[in-house]
Amino acid sequence: MRCYKADLHIHSVLSPCGGLEMSPRALMQRFKELSIEWIAITDHNSLANCAAYAKAAAEAGIAFTYGVEIQTAEEIHLLAYFDDTEKAMKFDRTLYEALPPILNDSDFFGDQVVIDADENIIRIEERALSNSVVWSLEEAKERAESYGGFCIPAHVDAEANSIIGQLGFIPQNLDFPVLGITSGLILEDFLKLHPELAGYSFLRASDAHYVSDLGCGSSNLSVQEPSRIELELAARKLKDRKILI
Amino acid sequence: MALTLKEYLEAIGAETLTPDIDISQITITNGYVSDMLSDVMGTAKDGQVWITIMRHMNTVAVASMTSLACVLFAKGMKPDAAVISRANQEEVCLAVSDKQTFDLAGILYRMLGK
Repeated sequence: MRCYKADLHIHSVLSPCGGLEMSPRALMQRFKELSIEWIAITDHNSLANCAAYAKAAAEAGIAFTYGVEIQTAEEIHLLAYFDDTEKAMKFDRTLYEALPPILNDSDFFGDQVVIDADENIIRIEERALSNSVVWSLEEAKERAESYGGFCIPAHVDAEANSIIGQLGFIPQNLDFPVLGITSGLILEDFLKLHPELAGYSFLRASDAHYVSDLGCGSSNLSVQEPSRIELELAARKLKDRKILI
Repeated sequence: MALTLKEYLEAIGAETLTPDIDISQITITNGYVSDMLSDVMGTAKDGQVWITIMRHMNTVAVASMTSLACVLFAKGMKPDAAVISRANQEEVCLAVSDKQTFDLAGILYRMLGK
């Protein structure tokens, strides 16, 4: 077992409201400085930039997991992680089809840039990734899982786009062993407000949209290797795996 | 004179999804409009008609907790069968209308003589 300092909720230059300075090399440079050993890129409703950042991460010796932050019909942000990159990109295509064909307002949100590993711009994504897909929370979870994904509700303590904010409480029929939290949350205080969440694992991450956000939040994962499978084991506190925040 | 749920739902031409509930016996005290369930839990009061486009299962639980008179889904946002079935069990009145939230709230406001 090894302990990895991980930031598993990071946006790339593809995300609306994301800084164009979030280029693969700039990110990897910063992760080295921060001693972050395992990352996931989780753009809004798209995995289009995962391959480019995965390559840069490999070159920098940083572990990388393909991820995405789905916005469900209820406007809940749901993170999904994948080990099988081929399946992940198949999921990406069905996710895109579930996104309404409304154009991005680049003056407001900025350009949604798809790049390659050498930081060349491949294309500008025109469809607004800031929208909700047509899938409900249940449907999004089931679909991501059917492509091998592991789902985590993002920033459950946030006012906007959190499962608790939108739905009042976490539906009991949904199996979510781990909940994402915002970088600055004092978990002890949060659990006093929400004693019903005491049994969950929690995953702290930066949710960085800008380079200056990086390092504000991370988790230590005690796992065999940095992967989605091990993340799930740690979330379920199985086989001595665990998440320390 | 008190406004009944039946009078209001007829006025807006809503479809009632929980026919076993006698809407002529339910009095409307006020209305509430929100699509965030955490907000509704903290603010909505018993006897209110809650107008929303949020059709998740938790909607029924929140309506039951706050003893709302009715959950009225706007814009034809009909919830799925599991939600309707749960509402029947919990005796939470559900209705759906093709009208938009603004119009549904406006009509209710007028009928309540506010």
